[in-house]
Amino acid sequence: MAPVVRAQAVSKRWGATAALQGATFEIEPGITGLLGSNGAGKTTLLGLLLGMHRPDEGQVEVLGRDPWTQGADLRARVGYAPEHEALPEDVRAYDIVRHLTEVHGLPSREAQTRASDALYEVGLGEERFRPVGTMSTGQRQRVKLAIAIAHDPELVLLDEPTNGLDPMQRDQMLALVRKIGHELGLNVILCSHLLEEVERVSDAVVILDAGRVVRSGPLTELRRSDANELMVEVDGGEPEVARLVAALAAAGVAARADGASVAAVMEDARALDLVRDTLADGSFALRRLQQRTSSLEEVFLAADAG
Amino acid sequence: MTVPTGDARILDRGYRRYDGPRAGTAHAVRSVIAHTLRRILGLRRPARAKVLPVMAVAFAYIPAIVFVGIVALSGRFGAQAQADLIVPPYAEYYGFIISAIVLFVTFVAPEALCPDRRSRSLSLYLSSPLTRMTYLLGKVLAVTIVVAFVTVGPPLLLLLGRMMQSAGPDGFVAFLGVLGRMLASGAMLAAIYTAVSMGVASLTDRRAVAAAATLLLLIGSSIVTGTIVFGLDGPSWVFASHLTAAPLLLVGRIYGESTGLPEVSTLALTMGALAWTALGSAVCVLRYRSLQVTR
Repeated sequence: MAPVVRAQAVSKRWGATAALQGATFEIEPGITGLLGSNGAGKTTLLGLLLGMHRPDEGQVEVLGRDPWTQGADLRARVGYAPEHEALPEDVRAYDIVRHLTEVHGLPSREAQTRASDALYEVGLGEERFRPVGTMSTGQRQRVKLAIAIAHDPELVLLDEPTNGLDPMQRDQMLALVRKIGHELGLNVILCSHLLEEVERVSDAVVILDAGRVVRSGPLTELRRSDANELMVEVDGGEPEVARLVAALAAAGVAARADGASVAAVMEDARALDLVRDTLADGSFALRRLQQRTSSLEEVFLAADAG
Repeated sequence: MTVPTGDARILDRGYRRYDGPRAGTAHAVRSVIAHTLRRILGLRRPARAKVLPVMAVAFAYIPAIVFVGIVALSGRFGAQAQADLIVPPYAEYYGFIISAIVLFVTFVAPEALCPDRRSRSLSLYLSSPLTRMTYLLGKVLAVTIVVAFVTVGPPLLLLLGRMMQSAGPDGFVAFLGVLGRMLASGAMLAAIYTAVSMGVASLTDRRAVAAAATLLLLIGSSIVTGTIVFGLDGPSWVFASHLTAAPLLLVGRIYGESTGLPEVSTLALTMGALAWTALGSAVCVLRYRSLQVTR
């Protein structure tokens, strides 16, 4: 399957500030998290993907098109929800969604139906005729999401969609993002500076740091980097974890406490037998035994350190 | 007991894929025009948003309605009464409604342009098939249509009223002549005021500031040109940059009627009208070209 986005050595400067420096990555279909701290270049990258800016160097391709030269055609197939407030306060949610669906090229009658359907989809069916100004922050974020999906885009760009939301609203928004990507089948690029958010909903990730792509790829691949470690989880809490670390060390297996579990280093094939025997001899209540994977935070920190 | 009919269907509100045709930029521009017209006229918005447009339209049309009414009533008192009736010539009619036109243009362009920048919804437009210039085209056309509603509509109503009382132009050719002048005058006024007010409105995202600045520019131009021409005995062509009187003088030239304003050459008046239109348009275009939407 062709990549949704392909970027090759893309650079963009704003005056003296280098927003992107030689960014090279590919984004495959599905939900992809664009992760980076504030100022890492995420919003600039979205601007480039939408053809709003021209890269100083390098090439960008979105849905097989050059955003700068084929911008109008491309943007008809892309949905965008900006990070900032972007809705006129005295206009009804339904009216603005319908209007922008029309602007994206859908016939008026179709836009009317789809505006309602999109607002129902994001949970604002009953609220759709309320002026945006009377809505809460969470509801406004949903209206932006409805605008982004109403014209049935092939790609949806969401810039910090959980900004300003309380924890419950955040959960609901992330569930919606997951639904858009996995149930409705739209490709999604989720921009966020929150690791946990990206880890919860994304299939793949592009990590940006100071305008550079430091890691990119499917989440499963990025997290599979600790193949030589075994995670052992036992009942009994901290004392049992400490007792197991000591028992493994006595058996000649390097191990360390990792939260509520123990990470044991598999130096050779014999180590697995040693772990099994230690667990049996020490009468530990085994809860889980699996190959250890890194959290996205560890991937991020490792990339940052590199 | 309710018996289900054969037409019964389950309403599926679920999200569906769209495989139909997608219209291009022209469709998007049309949508912007329709949305902006609704916004300016206060449609589908709270009642307070309708007050100003209704007032301005009423001020522009009331004189025409009154004149048409007088012409109609005079017909009841015989041909002599109708002949004795003094109804202002078409060109002079603009003098009656210039205040309404000024009031209208001061709020129309700010209403069309400012909210999109203030609410930052411009970024939603520019992430659609629209570009800055096609977006602006939609806005310009919407404002021009609305302004033309008060610069073309009332004289047209006057013409129709006169014709209904057999007091209109003599013959079809004369009618076409008056109609052509009417449309040309209305279009010229709409072009100048649209360009000037949009140029001003593009410089701020606050509607009230834009409206006040437009009004200030219209009044300021009359004070400055009036002072130069009449107070300092400056050259008369300076009067061509008077933003309310000079366009009315040009309307008089289009109709071939004397409007009782100082004599300034038609060329100077035309150049003045073109200069204001070009200046307003240039400010607006340059402002939108350099506007930073996302970074």
